Amino acid sequence: MVHMCTVVPISLTVGANRIVPTVAIPHPLGNPSLNREDEKKLRRKLVEKALNALQTEVSGQTVFE
Amino acid sequence: MRLEVGNILIKEIQFGDRTEVKEGVLFINREELAKVTGEDDRIASVDVYLAKPGEEIRIIPVKDVIEPRIKVSGKGGVFPGLISKVDTVGEGRTHVLKGVAVVTTGRIVGFQEGLIDMAGPGAEYTPFSKTMNVVLKVEPVEGLHQHEHERVVRLAGLRAAEYLGRAGQHVEPDHVEVYETKPLLEQVKEYPDLPKVVYVYMLQTQGLLHNSYVYGVDARQIIPTFIYPTEVMDGAVVSGNCVSACDKNPTYIHQNNPVIQDLYERHGKDLNFIGCVITNENVTLSDKERSSNMTAKLVEFLGADGVIISEEGFGNPDTDLVMNCYKIEEKGIKTVLITDEYAGRDGASQSLADSTEKGDAVVSTGNANEIIKLPPMKTVIGYPEVADIIAGGTEGSLGEDGSITAELQIIIGSTNELGYGLLTAKGR
Repeated sequence: MVHMCTVVPISLTVGANRIVPTVAIPHPLGNPSLNREDEKKLRRKLVEKALNALQTEVSGQTVFE
Repeated sequence: MRLEVGNILIKEIQFGDRTEVKEGVLFINREELAKVTGEDDRIASVDVYLAKPGEEIRIIPVKDVIEPRIKVSGKGGVFPGLISKVDTVGEGRTHVLKGVAVVTTGRIVGFQEGLIDMAGPGAEYTPFSKTMNVVLKVEPVEGLHQHEHERVVRLAGLRAAEYLGRAGQHVEPDHVEVYETKPLLEQVKEYPDLPKVVYVYMLQTQGLLHNSYVYGVDARQIIPTFIYPTEVMDGAVVSGNCVSACDKNPTYIHQNNPVIQDLYERHGKDLNFIGCVITNENVTLSDKERSSNMTAKLVEFLGADGVIISEEGFGNPDTDLVMNCYKIEEKGIKTVLITDEYAGRDGASQSLADSTEKGDAVVSTGNANEIIKLPPMKTVIGYPEVADIIAGGTEGSLGEDGSITAELQIIIGSTNELGYGLLTAKGR
């Protein structure tokens, strides 16, 4: 499992193993201040990072910065 | 900074030909109040109502509650940076119409949207069932964006509070309280043997109609800073409103912050109250890290021996609370936290979204998930149908008979994290 979230400390507190930090609480996987193309890039980057994290063996709680 | 707060005890409010205070009665010129409140071309209409303790009245959805105050001497005016110039306030003399509150309501949902019952079981949960309320229903012109709408209603309420406060400008107060905090080095010297206490005053700043304002600045944009407690009493901190009404601080509670009141009560007796550090609760992790770093640094710089930290709201702001706690504790400074709980309807769930072992002294102001049932009221000011969509309510919350079944969080101030609420607990 990978947990994508903005407030990493909460994710650590609840015990997630793989954590991918996201943008902001109202819009974790997007950024309304970016234009359409840049936001698309940002979203893809985050999802790819999460997919990579899923395929990575971890031995404890790991934050994928 | 030294402020005299002159409390004029109001026994009764009623409409009259002119707005004035006579022998403890506040007379209000209804048309003039509506005119002052509506002085904004983005406002289409203002209706004025009175709601007194014990009357079967429900006010829903409530936007803000504000205490009528006016500067009598000293720099500036109330609510600086919003309806007065940005002079530094908190000195001289301020008069208060004690017992009166301005309550704003309107159709917009999505910010400070709870309710006040003036009678029945709901009245036991909100401090604003005990005040004589001047209720303003403010409706904007068509097509106003919701952020603009929030601002328009917020400023309208402040104008009304100042207008009413002005009626007390030349009235001899029933009693005068004096509050004084000196510049740091002098303040430390005044009581060198007493522990130095700093108050970390967290302000809700989640954006999207969830903001607080400091001297007119959206507190989301501030770096944590020092503020004299008396500045707060003059309206330097204003509510920008927020959902989940139970634990947001209406402007009235900022003006009467009980943490500040109680620290002054013990100032010079068993502690030395150094002042307040205001900080925010933003929506990105880097903002949370920056603000808690700055808060801890400032608290250390002020030489605090102990710190009281109050949260505003819940959920991700629990992380700001926890970060403030452990970063200050790591500097060897003791902390006490004030927060409410979202512990589920049965009270058995984890109370906060985040945690730290350093948080070993916490005051709880209640469980906001508790289910309550409110009987119908004879009169409803506002829009009762929002009961189904406000935070704490669900579809079906509003019964056919006008009763409301919902979580405690729908009631303004019910679990207030400055301790202004009415809930208490007793050990068995």
